[in-house]
Amino acid sequence: MEEKKYETVLKIFILQFAAIAVILPFVWLLSTALKSPGEVFTPTLKLIPDTFMWSNFLEIMDRAPFWLYMLNTIIVCVGILLIQLLLVIPAAYAFARLDFPGKDVIFLLFVIQIMLPLESIIIPNYLITKKLGLLNTRTGLILPFVASGFGTFMLRQTFKQVPNALEDAALIDGAGHLRFIWHVLIPLSRPTIVTFSMISIATHWNDYFWPLIITDMDRVRTLTIGLGMFVQQESGSDWTLLMAATLFVCAPIIAFFLATQKTFIKSFLTSGIKG
Amino acid sequence: MLKGVPILPRGGGTPHSLKLMKESPEKYRNYMFLVPGMFFLLLFTYLPIMWSTWLSFNRWNLLSPQPKWCGVENFLKLWNHDVFWLVMKNSFFFVTVSIFPTMFLALVFAILIDERVKGRVYYIYSLFYPTLIPMAAAAMLWVYIYSPNLGVLNIVLSKFGLPKLGWLGSSQTSIWALIIMTFWKNLGFFMLIYLAGLQNVNRELYEAAYIDGAGWWRRHLAITFPLVGPTSLFVLIVAIILTFRVFDQIHLMTEGGPGNSSNVIVYYIYENGFKFFDWGIASALTTILVVILLFLTLLIFGLFGKRITYTAD
Repeated sequence: MEEKKYETVLKIFILQFAAIAVILPFVWLLSTALKSPGEVFTPTLKLIPDTFMWSNFLEIMDRAPFWLYMLNTIIVCVGILLIQLLLVIPAAYAFARLDFPGKDVIFLLFVIQIMLPLESIIIPNYLITKKLGLLNTRTGLILPFVASGFGTFMLRQTFKQVPNALEDAALIDGAGHLRFIWHVLIPLSRPTIVTFSMISIATHWNDYFWPLIITDMDRVRTLTIGLGMFVQQESGSDWTLLMAATLFVCAPIIAFFLATQKTFIKSFLTSGIKG
Repeated sequence: MLKGVPILPRGGGTPHSLKLMKESPEKYRNYMFLVPGMFFLLLFTYLPIMWSTWLSFNRWNLLSPQPKWCGVENFLKLWNHDVFWLVMKNSFFFVTVSIFPTMFLALVFAILIDERVKGRVYYIYSLFYPTLIPMAAAAMLWVYIYSPNLGVLNIVLSKFGLPKLGWLGSSQTSIWALIIMTFWKNLGFFMLIYLAGLQNVNRELYEAAYIDGAGWWRRHLAITFPLVGPTSLFVLIVAIILTFRVFDQIHLMTEGGPGNSSNVIVYYIYENGFKFFDWGIASALTTILVVILLFLTLLIFGLFGKRITYTAD
């Protein structure tokens, strides 16, 4: 199938235009984060600062404990992911390959949860977390997210595709449920597990609403909420510092994805997300 | 229980002599695999829904510090309150205006990227990176871009001799400003899901259509659009969830204002609960939101359910 010359040019033009339009805000963020305050208050568009103000980053560390926020964010994200995997894999296994009374109804409960994110039932969740004495704790930031209907659904789809012959072979070799999961299902479902893990990390790195309502002290705050508080504290006075802080909040997750981009894109394109 | 009613297709189908599941009478041991997940699912999804449903029929605010049964009073109050209707209008406006253009353009860009060999990763990442940025950070960035005097948008507008816009500060434009920013944020995510879906389309179909003389647009209209139907359904569900729960950018960029012009349901729940401390009203709103979300789920699965479940298996 041959493309006409003008078609190719037009397509590349459209793609380039979109790519640049989407990248520009980030370039603007980078540029402002490195400017001196004086350069921001001029109505000219200057992309490259006169002098690179790396000290902006030191300055924000003095004003708010951003390293502590980052540590908390990492603990919360990793905690959520590990517990999610511990809960989701056995559940997906049961739905994909076992039989028991009420299976369809229970599976429906997991699927419906996908449509009811925590944000939509924030009031009662806040009251429950308060009753459990988990306000202002990292445990409180983790637990409400650990039962993932989305992950259960994704993994169930993948586990179903593993041929029955492999299960028979494992059984003849004397493997039980757990060995079969560990030695056969998990290795075969690696792309889906990687995709789910990455989506989970990206989602929870970005959580804002839940930490906003259940934390009110720096000790347990995560990056996003730390940024929100920093903005209030500085009350929009100095855009260079605000953009430096914004960049500091985005940088780790972007670096993480750039480092793992091959795995991520490949896993995403081959995993169960096909509708 | 609903035994025998196949809500979702069962796995396997063929009887299988060696299957682990045949180890009854220990069939009930299979529940063990679900118990941990179920525990948290009940604790943080279904118990909260039941609790807030009960609370929505109670008066519980600063004047009445203990929950007290009051029938449908909370719902009546909302029904007679103009702000509630404005919030509902804004929510549905936000959802419809942001979802369909985003989905359409995401599919078009996925097709364009799928046809390119060179620079694929560059295009994917330049469209996808906003998804990775925390919404709170993206919101701060866009507050700066939209800022009336120093913002890059107004500077560009005035360079072309056009009048400056109020963006977030004007009730005419605030919700549009939020929609544009949300579009920028979600486009790449949907594009990536479509790109995954396109990997399943049989390439020979395009060859056949090409030989029959169909142009680019015609080929995709007749082949790609119908064949990515299941993916579109998945994207639609994800998009509805993402846009109905919009909160972060509203909290950081407009606080629902000016004059509630950008107030949407989740933010309105937050306001009632954590600013006005009217837990009864906030619970009633939660009940309304849950009913809307469940209704949409049923609607979507009722209309297209067979297609999604069977193709996904």
